[in-house]
Amino acid sequence: MTPEITVLTLAALLWAVQFIAYLAVSHGKMDVNKAIGPRDTEIERPGASGRMHRALSNLTEGLTLFAIAALVIAVTGQSTSFTAAAAWIFLIARVIYVPAYALGWTPWRTIVWLVSFFATVAMLLAALI
Amino acid sequence: MSSELSILALYGLVVIIVVLLNILTAMSQVGLMTLGGARDDMPPLTGAAGRVERALANSVVAMALFAPAILILSAKDAFTGGTLFAAQIFLIARIVFVPIYAFAIPVPFLRTTVWLAGFFATAYLYLQAL
Repeated sequence: MTPEITVLTLAALLWAVQFIAYLAVSHGKMDVNKAIGPRDTEIERPGASGRMHRALSNLTEGLTLFAIAALVIAVTGQSTSFTAAAAWIFLIARVIYVPAYALGWTPWRTIVWLVSFFATVAMLLAALI
Repeated sequence: MSSELSILALYGLVVIIVVLLNILTAMSQVGLMTLGGARDDMPPLTGAAGRVERALANSVVAMALFAPAILILSAKDAFTGGTLFAAQIFLIARIVFVPIYAFAIPVPFLRTTVWLAGFFATAYLYLQAL
């Protein structure tokens, strides 16, 4: 298993952790009957609940891109210490991103997101070169 | 590395560019402070910014479908001239899809036709993977 694939697995587990954290933060703030219903009307997600939900959606997008980078590198045997370092930087940034969003750290959330974003770009470019 | 895998990595970069376009168009509409803030009261994006946001959401769905097809074909060593052609069609269709959506080019069914090209190319890849 390449380091990138190890990080990919950990990042997928982060998704599960963030989902549970989102539920925990939303407990008592969200209408449960509405949440388990057909959602024909938008559910209200006040404050930190909405922020955790947006952080989760953002991870879904970031993780899909990262998965392509990690898997293409693994399948083509192009793992280097550079791509491994970029993968770990991605994961660390995604972990910091969660409290940064939940607690509204401005502009740190954006900066941390940019770090994870460019780590993925670097991996995709490394896969192509 | 096979051309199909290169196309997959290239499509990742295409989505990266659409993410950046999404940020830039949203920033010009709601401002840097709102976008960089906690977004608790961010208004829905309208016009071109809204279209780029929807194009991005669609690109991410297409990416989540395209990536497994290519990776399964790679794992099975099942690449053919047909799979390369389908991957090329997918990449071109998905690149063209973004400006067609963003500029709301008023040709009836143009965006939908281009979307269908990418969609059926992906479906073909899955059939080949089976």
